This record gives sequence, structure tokens and C-alpha cells, in this order.
Amino acid sequence: MLLLNHAPDRYSDLSEDDYMAIISDYIAWTEKLTAEGVYTGGEKLADGPGRVLTKTDGGVEVHDSPMAELAEVLGGVMMIKAVDYDAAVAIAKTCPHMVHNSSLEIREIHAVD
Amino acid sequence: MKFTLLTDAPEPELAFEVIYHQLEKLARRERGRLVALLVGKLGPARLEMAEDVVQDAIIAAMAAWPYKGMPDNPAAWLNRVARNKAYDRLRKEGREKPWLDEIGDHAADDISPDNSDATHGQLFGARIKDPELKLIFLCCQPEIAQEDQLMLTLKVVSGFTAKDIGALFLKKEAAVGQRLARAKRKLRALGASAGGKSITDGPSRFELKERLPTVLKVIYLMFSLGYAPRRGEALILRDVAEEALRLAVSVADANETASPSASALAALLSFQASRFDARVGTDGALVLLRDQNRVLWDKDLISRGFAYLKAAQAGAKLSRYHLEAAIASSHAAAPDFAATNWQQLLGVYAQLEAMTGSPVVAVNACVAEAFAGAPEAAFLKLEALAKHDQLHAYAPYHIARGELLRMLKRPADAAKSFKKALECDASAPVVAHLKERLTASV
Repeated sequence: MLLLNHAPDRYSDLSEDDYMAIISDYIAWTEKLTAEGVYTGGEKLADGPGRVLTKTDGGVEVHDSPMAELAEVLGGVMMIKAVDYDAAVAIAKTCPHMVHNSSLEIREIHAVD
Repeated sequence: MKFTLLTDAPEPELAFEVIYHQLEKLARRERGRLVALLVGKLGPARLEMAEDVVQDAIIAAMAAWPYKGMPDNPAAWLNRVARNKAYDRLRKEGREKPWLDEIGDHAADDISPDNSDATHGQLFGARIKDPELKLIFLCCQPEIAQEDQLMLTLKVVSGFTAKDIGALFLKKEAAVGQRLARAKRKLRALGASAGGKSITDGPSRFELKERLPTVLKVIYLMFSLGYAPRRGEALILRDVAEEALRLAVSVADANETASPSASALAALLSFQASRFDARVGTDGALVLLRDQNRVLWDKDLISRGFAYLKAAQAGAKLSRYHLEAAIASSHAAAPDFAATNWQQLLGVYAQLEAMTGSPVVAVNACVAEAFAGAPEAAFLKLEALAKHDQLHAYAPYHIARGELLRMLKRPADAAKSFKKALECDASAPVVAHLKERLTASV
């Protein structure tokens, strides 16, 4: 799984054309890897804070996720197939995210079969 | 999420181009169509809501598709998402019930552009079946200022942004936004005063006939904007001009709106558009009619032009579009500049001048007369037009004057006219052409 981080408001100053170009880059990558059977799915996370639940003595506290203080937040996740981390890194390096945004984290999904 | 083209074209640049082009088309062309479909369901009073939810759907697509891939039918995806958003908004207002009653629960249907028209027509017995045509007639109401009609059509029907429109009219984006908001308020007021109509009624047969001249005028103006922009780097704004052509053809082809003048306009725009490839030279330079390589003229558009011209002759009444189309057809029919039937052209110009009394038409007529072999007489007529104030800021007037003076072997006076032309608004290629003329005059 690829966890895609981005700075909040990273696209707000872009022209429509530039924004569309970036999105096209991403879609082209996703479509190509899907056709190759490498990309198996993804989800975009909605903008805005999520919720953090913390266990306390009294019960459960609920707060908004501290997005405002963070330079980077998780924007979405993508699932790819790779034999090992090296292979996954090779694929992730080609992701447009590494051109247009800041960082991503790769975590292997623990397969049980 | 199939995209077979990409497996055949592994080059990343090509895939990017394909997708970028698709997204652009969706954000521009489909946007207008989607707004039209929604206005058909929501009613003209909800024009702004229709626009908002379509915009929201496009934003949602840009966010989600990088992760989900492109849907098989992107337009249907957008339509479904936009409709759901509209439904949500109506539900918040407590207004969703009449919509559901009239339409029934269509949450499951996947509206493709082809079958939506049939469904729509059957359900409402609408007078105009095509939702997009309905929308054009909605935007082009005589009670709204003409420039506002044009801006509204460009935005709502053709999907241009307020920023694009600002660039066309040399206005600030915010000012355009205000004009559009004002025009939409007027539309709402007009709709409210019509009272008692069902939410999806389009114009009646009488209203159609009444509004057609306005619609045609707006389309004509849109084409002029694209064909001869008075500013910017491009000689021709093809997307604007071709959009106008598309609209003219829509109006001429639809049963409910077909008429001799609509066909005449479609003929005129087809002929003018046929020359685009020849008119723009290398590096976007201007190529005069006499220098154009006629091999590059689009023969398909020309033959369609003649077909529409024939259809236009069905009625007894003659519109200015008939005459302008006839002039354009004369050029289209000539194998080269020398073979142009100038006498025939002059005859039509005389009719057009009589019909319109327009000084701009008169300027063009003078140029034709000069090419027909009488530059001295043409120049005298042109000088007589100097009394019209509006010509003095009109670059083509000064250019015509300069050209005639060149023909009369008066280069110094010609240069003065070309200098005056440079003081007017003109696109960069026209400016470059004028500068060339000036250096040649010395």
C-alpha cells in the first residue's frame, strides 16, 4: 500500500490548466498500471480534519485531527502489487506523486494466504 | 477501468496527452451539456444550482480519478454525481418531492447523451427536445442586454470560464462574474413572471420564433469573437469560433428551430471556418485571402456550407446571413484569387449595404470594389465613410484605407493609415503584418 502525503492547499494557487495537467499525469499512471495488473485500487481521503479518539480514564475523548499544525497530511492510499519492497520502491518512484507532491510511504499489506 | 489505448501506447507522453485532452473536453464541452441536462430537469430558475453541482462534480472527479482511475463513461459519471448533489441540495430545501414526482426515481439510470433526449421528450412533451438548445434559448432572451446574452451563452452553454470570457472582452474576471450574476437574476425574474409554467417548459412555438433572431445574433457574435479577436497572441481563437459553428449547426438541424436564416448562418460560418488552416501561416502569422493556399481549405466544411446555403433558399425572406453566406460562397467557389467573381460579389455587397446600412459592410464593399478593378472609385467611397465616428477605432477600416492607397501607388499616405491601424486594438499577428507593411512602405 502506498500512503500519499501532501501539503494542505498544495493546489490552491495553480491555474486550471496546470492543475488538470497534474491530474492527467496521475490518471495516466494509474490507468497504465491498472492495465498491467499492478494497480489494484485506491481511495482519496477527503480534505478537512478527521477525528482522533483517545482512551481516557473517563471514557473516550474525540478531537479533530490536528491538521492545521502539520506540514503534511495523508491525502490518499493506493494499492499496488509487488514481489518485495525493492520492486514496490521501483514502482513508487515512477508515481507522479513524487513529481508534484512531497512524499509517500510504502507499507506492505500483510497477506495471509 | 479499462483503457486499452494505453497498453498499445506505452509512451507516457502519449497517454498523458490522451487523458489531458479527455479531461479538457469534459471540463469544457461536457460541462455545458451536463448543465443543459440538469436545467431540463430542475427548471430554468435553478440555472445556478445546475452550474454549481456540475462544477462540484468536476472537482470531485479531479480528486477521485487519480486514485480510482477513469470511469468507463466519464460523462455519465459526472452526470450521476451532479444529479445526486442537486438532489441533496433540494432535499435540504425540502423541495425534492416535486422533482421526484415528475421524474420518478432515476437514481439507477446511466444517462448517456443519446438516450437522455428521448426520455426527456417523452416525459414532458417538451417543445425543444435537445436540452442544450433549450438552454441556448434560455440564455438568449431579448430582455437581457446583448453582451450579457453572449457572455451567458459562452459560460453556461459552451463551458468557458469567467476568466476566459474576461480575456475575450478585456474585462476583469470579477466584472464578468458580476455581469453573469446580474443576467441570471434577470433570468430568474423572467421565469418567475412567466408564472404557472411547469418547471421544465421550454419556450413556446411563438417564443421560439421570437427569440430565434436573438439566438442567431449571439452565435454570430461568438463566431466573430473567435474569427477576429481584437487582442491577444492568436490570429484566430478556434475553440470559440468552432463552438459557435457547432451551435449554429445545432439550431439549423433541429426540427423545432430550423429556419432559412438559421441555415444561412450555418452556411456562412461553415464557409468562414473552412479557411482557418490556410489563414494562419507558420508561427501563427496572418495569411491574406489572396495569398492563401486553397488546397488547405476544408472541402468538407465547404460542401456542408453549400448544402446549408441551398436549405436557406427554401424561404422567401432574405436575412443578412443569406447575403453574407452568398459572399463567402463566392470565395469558396473560386479556384484562386484571380478567378473570384468580383462583379457577383459587388452585387451582393450592394444588397447587404442597403439592408444593413452598416459602415463596416461599406468598408468591405469598398475593398471588393478595388479588387474588382476600380480602386479610385473605391477609395473615394471609403473616404466618404470617414464621417462615421465608430470606424476610427476600427483597425480594419485603417487597414483597408492603407491597402487601397498602396494600390493607388501612394505609399506615404498608406503608411499613415497603417500607423493609425496600429493605434487600434488588434491581435499580435495583425500587428506584425502591419509592421511589415510599414517597413515595406518606406
